[in-house]
Amino acid sequence: MSETNPANLDGHDSDEHGHGGLGKYLAVFVCLCVLTGASFFTYSDLWPYKDTPAVGWIFMMAVSCTKAMLVMLCFMHLWWEANWKYVLTFPAALMSVFLVLMLIPDVGLRTRKYSEQRWQHAAEPEVPASAADRDPEHAEDHHDGTHANQHN
Amino acid sequence: MGHDESGHHDHLKLEYHPALPMSNGKLIVWLFLSTEIMFFAGLIGTYVVLRFGVPTGTWPTPADVHLSEPIGAFNTFVLICSSVTVVLCLEACRARQAKMAKCWLFLTFLLGSVFLGVKLYEYNQKFAHGIYPRKPRSLIHERANLEYAAALRFPLKAKRDKLDKKKAELGVLPTTENGESQESNEKQVEGRLEESEEQDLKKYNQLLSGVVEWAEYVATDPATPEAERRDVLVQLAKYVSGPGHGHGHAETDVSPFAGQLDQERAELEAEQARLEDEQRRLLVARQNNADSEAAQKADIQSDLAIVESRLKRISHRMDGIGLLRELKHGINEDHHMHLPIVLPSGNMWASTYFLLTGFHAIHVVVGLIVFAIGMCMRLGPEKAGFIENTGLYWHFVDLVWIFLFPLLYLF
Repeated sequence: MSETNPANLDGHDSDEHGHGGLGKYLAVFVCLCVLTGASFFTYSDLWPYKDTPAVGWIFMMAVSCTKAMLVMLCFMHLWWEANWKYVLTFPAALMSVFLVLMLIPDVGLRTRKYSEQRWQHAAEPEVPASAADRDPEHAEDHHDGTHANQHN
Repeated sequence: MGHDESGHHDHLKLEYHPALPMSNGKLIVWLFLSTEIMFFAGLIGTYVVLRFGVPTGTWPTPADVHLSEPIGAFNTFVLICSSVTVVLCLEACRARQAKMAKCWLFLTFLLGSVFLGVKLYEYNQKFAHGIYPRKPRSLIHERANLEYAAALRFPLKAKRDKLDKKKAELGVLPTTENGESQESNEKQVEGRLEESEEQDLKKYNQLLSGVVEWAEYVATDPATPEAERRDVLVQLAKYVSGPGHGHGHAETDVSPFAGQLDQERAELEAEQARLEDEQRRLLVARQNNADSEAAQKADIQSDLAIVESRLKRISHRMDGIGLLRELKHGINEDHHMHLPIVLPSGNMWASTYFLLTGFHAIHVVVGLIVFAIGMCMRLGPEKAGFIENTGLYWHFVDLVWIFLFPLLYLF
């Protein structure tokens, strides 16, 4: 809080903006490209966890969070800002994560508690047999869901 | 503050002390961005909940909804590039290189436009396949049931009837359901449909009687086993929209449905032969019983009618199989039709996709407007605050896309 002259606040004084620099920006840019490639890698055939999609999801979210941090810290100059940055970013970010996490058990997993009648109006799983294999809890929900053999 | 100690008693010197070490504009932008974080958190939270709340295994894969991951990755790359250019614009602005700053800003504007252009192309792809967020235009059906079969039948019938009417106006008798009278009549008439229209008419008839109505017939026939009734409709949906993911038949010449269609054809040929024997036997019986009682004659006649109608259906189905056998992807794709498709949870997918990408695209448009305004200014060091604030907003737009890309394209 040493800087109090408003004239300097608008970035007129280039001395106080010694951070950044082309090299740093390009390094972050390369990192972002590599990370995009990393999350895109989960789409390729080489990705080893094809049968457990949750691994890919967690990996992609971790990559996205890393990218977001890089953009915020470097491009948005948060790294060099004073302590106000915590006030403005942390509560909002925490509430966001909290909101998403709180929505999942009640609403996100609602189909686990669907009644028979509700299922009749739900979308029909395309391959219910294999889905039922993976999730035995759903096997009864999909009642007569054992079609999908291909001949007429 | 402290004027007593400094000893300047002659005049009161007031200084402005901002609460935070930054300009008001930047403070406002940061406050705005923190509300934006919550706004997009709400949207993404809704998406996550709806995405994982669908019945297991029904959420459409990117291939189902014609979503191209490489295009999405390209757009991510474009936005990252634009983030770099806008930050370089700020640097140039501070270094008193107004021309350079304008160049970087223009480049950012260009990259943002490329992003929007790609988005527009993607939206068009969805619309072309009948994927809309709402019903009147959306062609998505949740289930392959009789309602779906009827939804297929109506547009086909409308198209067929339109061509039939045109043909009648040109002086040709309309074709019957199966299109049999077509060939016999064609020769006598001068005014006739164009070659392509004639082919279309044949195609519609084959699709109607040999594909859709056959499926409806099998699905409602009491003789059909319960499981098969559903299968035939599920298969009908597959013929329309293609075999779906995991069947990369794009390069090969073999129809993805060839195997099962050939099997079906063999089964139907066997039944056809059996029914033709039956028909011959009945015809002979009718001949022999010409003098016998009326009741007996009526029996034979009704049996014959059943056999003949079954034979007619089978011959339609054979035509239909011939048409399906040529498919590479699906009826919609190969014949440029706009028929309803079955996509479990597809309506939910469309709603969330258009909502999320739409709100993001609105933010991109706003950013582009601000860039356009910036390009009308001289970007000297006095404009560094403006560029910085614009840049902050633009980085946030990039940030949202960083989360949207994996969520929408790769999950």
